Amino acid sequence: MAVTRLPTAALSLKQFLQRQKVLGIYRNMLRTIREVPDAADQKYLRNWAREEFKRNKNATDPDAIRMMITQANNHLEELQRSLALAR
Amino acid sequence: MAARVLMQCVRSVARPSLRLCSVNLTVRTAAVSNTVSHRSLCFSGDSRRTRWLEQSRVSAANIDVSCRLYGDLPPLTFDTIRDRVLYVLKLYDKINPEKLQASSHFMKDLGLDSLDQVEIIMAMEDEFGFEIPDAEAEKLMTPEEIVQYIADKKDVYE
Repeated sequence: MAVTRLPTAALSLKQFLQRQKVLGIYRNMLRTIREVPDAADQKYLRNWAREEFKRNKNATDPDAIRMMITQANNHLEELQRSLALAR
Repeated sequence: MAARVLMQCVRSVARPSLRLCSVNLTVRTAAVSNTVSHRSLCFSGDSRRTRWLEQSRVSAANIDVSCRLYGDLPPLTFDTIRDRVLYVLKLYDKINPEKLQASSHFMKDLGLDSLDQVEIIMAMEDEFGFEIPDAEAEKLMTPEEIVQYIADKKDVYE
């Protein structure tokens, strides 16, 4: 009986969507950080963002991931708001 | 004085161009004929004179149309794009410059992950000065693909 099997590393749809969301947030964060006027601040924020994302890279629980996504969104909005004020 | 002489010369050359009054032309000639614009600042009160200067500006555009004088970047070729892409990648701290080739896959050959790939694409955006949308950015997995995509977007043919 021939059974088609997905590769073991394939993500379910929900996981796939979450992954896309996380990458989208990372990209938006990097774009926002690009607009920070000071170069040293930019470097610091970029390192901070990188560390945060890498630290939680291996989380598997979808609820935990969702919480982290919300947190990241809050940070992003805060950064955007401060940038708008500073402009 | 030079403006008046120039205007007299070109007025005889380019009569039909008087009808061309597009904004582009005046912007172009503003860059070209700086001397004319300096004079025009003094003359701006007089309506007859401003019409005269409009004509000279438009005619001056015609004379200079053979040699373009816009500020622009040098044209891109596949080789320059490839060099720039590889240069940016060599500067990235997580990539070993010796192992880097045009066909090395970020995830399989160079051992990077998707966050690094996002960073790399952002660095490319900074280097080439245009935004790469998310959907297409996540598909670019080798330097060669990046070169192809940029050539696609910037209309670089071979």
